[in-house]
Amino acid sequence: MKSFFRMSYPYILWIGIFIVAPMLMILLYAVTRTGNNTLTFQFTLDNFSRFISDPDFIRVLLTSLRIALLTTVFCLLIGYPAALFIANLSDRTQTLVTLLITLPMWINMLLKTYAWRGILLNFDFSSELKVFIGMVYDFLPFMIIQIHTAIAKLDPNLLVAAHDLGANNVRSFLKVTLPLSVPGIISGITLVFLPAVSSFVIPKMLGGGNYVLIGNLIEIYFQQTGDWNFGSAISLIMALIIITAMWATKKLDRSAQED
Amino acid sequence: MKKLISVLLILCACLLLLTACQSKEPAAPAATEQPAAETEAEQPAAETEAAQPAAEKADNKVLNVMNYGEYIDEQVLRNFEKEYGVKINYAFNDTPEAMYTKLQTGVSYDVVVTSDYMIDRLIREKKVQKLDKNVVTNLDQLSDQVKNLYFDPQNEYSAPYLWQNVVLCYDTTKIDPAKVEEKGWAILLDPELDGHVFIYDSPRDIFMMALKNLGYSMNTESSDELQAAFDWLVKMNQTIHPDFVGDEMIDGMAHGEKWMAMMYSGDAVYASTENEKLTICAPAEGTNIAYDNMFIPSNAGNPEMANKFINYVLDYENAMMITVETCYSTPNAKVAADVTAEGGEFEGIEWYIPRTGYEKDEIYTDNDLLRTETPEMLMKVKLQK
Repeated sequence: MKSFFRMSYPYILWIGIFIVAPMLMILLYAVTRTGNNTLTFQFTLDNFSRFISDPDFIRVLLTSLRIALLTTVFCLLIGYPAALFIANLSDRTQTLVTLLITLPMWINMLLKTYAWRGILLNFDFSSELKVFIGMVYDFLPFMIIQIHTAIAKLDPNLLVAAHDLGANNVRSFLKVTLPLSVPGIISGITLVFLPAVSSFVIPKMLGGGNYVLIGNLIEIYFQQTGDWNFGSAISLIMALIIITAMWATKKLDRSAQED
Repeated sequence: MKKLISVLLILCACLLLLTACQSKEPAAPAATEQPAAETEAEQPAAETEAAQPAAEKADNKVLNVMNYGEYIDEQVLRNFEKEYGVKINYAFNDTPEAMYTKLQTGVSYDVVVTSDYMIDRLIREKKVQKLDKNVVTNLDQLSDQVKNLYFDPQNEYSAPYLWQNVVLCYDTTKIDPAKVEEKGWAILLDPELDGHVFIYDSPRDIFMMALKNLGYSMNTESSDELQAAFDWLVKMNQTIHPDFVGDEMIDGMAHGEKWMAMMYSGDAVYASTENEKLTICAPAEGTNIAYDNMFIPSNAGNPEMANKFINYVLDYENAMMITVETCYSTPNAKVAADVTAEGGEFEGIEWYIPRTGYEKDEIYTDNDLLRTETPEMLMKVKLQK
């Protein structure tokens, strides 16, 4: 066991350099002022109060959360029945259908979004609806695959037993399949909600550049004004929201398993 | 759990040590004028990114070039590679501000193309090195209109690449030209255009048209004037709900996706050669004259080859290829004369050569107010629907 642990060192090093270190830097930027020098960091919470006190920023944050939530709910509504349907197919067809679902994921997201831009051009939709359609399309496979994996793992004998005990199809679904697929649902939600809330390419391309989400906000401060401190503070606020969301879903998962 | 925490703690400690060690090393040449806090924080990322070009640089076989998108004939790059035996790494950026951020990270580029006011800022910040005039001899071939501009009065630091105006390009079957000529930039406040307009998503250019329509300077240092421009833009956004996009508007206009676009004259010339219904207008309130120049950053790894590249690009044949491909106006006097002469590529195309000598036109200059405020204000304009 110990020797196996040693094999994970490269990965830990990787995480350290590419995930933990940048996170620490964001933290450092977020709580300091611009233009100070190495030895005398001027710590401040101004960046955060600037965000919280501006109703425009709060509105952007709420819009981002709303559209991410809507995307997740829709992905779940479409994804669950699809996953259930796939899981009930024969093994060979299952492999084929799963392949078909993952196929679009091999194509670069930018290209797919660009194609959607062309398609949606012909419709007189609001920018929010366009962004929403693009997001559901892009993130749906993540939901389906996660739920399908959970359902496919179910022991078919459980359903047989349920039927033996007099449960009809609906009842056995509600009492057996659904509760046991909750872990899949949870990881599906995580995989959809998190990228959706921070997405900035899709709103930029499909929203006609006129639809600002929190990802776009961060981009403005890093790329255009060069105010990395405020940009970091926004990133940190978003990271906190994401962590809270993950913690909440984990909590949900655990309580579901205890039932 | 305890183990996990201790692993994380050790990791953090290691990282601190790592960053501490690195900050003791002499700062990268680019870092001289940088705020030191940024320098330290960026070191690890910058070093990993810069490591590769640095290793290859030793034998002068690599040239790192950065330019705007859709702004060159790639064949020029291929020819240069063949002729000089180097490999060109070609990077893109959308706006001068994005380019600045990329330079800030400490990655070393050899030749960068960017706009007048950004070069002004970079020269003042001492992030640009002088051209080697013994190598860059083709400066003699350039038209007087593009040489010795305010930001580089002797062309010591930069060489002209292409130049242009910001213009309105529109479909004459949808919008009456007389109306556009009469209203100028204010045509963008006309409710009839609702949903039919592209605007180039660049804060400076967008505020420029509002400021000009209000009769102010595009280089204003007054926050009241800037606020008035903001209100003008909010009204515009609420009236015509434009699409703020980048280069995708070029094909968009060529295919008739929208009726009108605020775009760069070169792109407008290209779009109007593809789509005959389009015409171009620079409003009477004035617009900007934008000069995009090439420069060599002070931390360039291969300045020798960079000078050769700049000279190569200015050469008659290559300047011709670039202007024909991009439709932007060339600085090379002979090329400009030839392409607009009878039988030339841009014969009779009015806006190929930008408007100069009109008193209300201006060149961008750099100032703190515009630099820090306009991106955030533009974002807030977009929130008002």
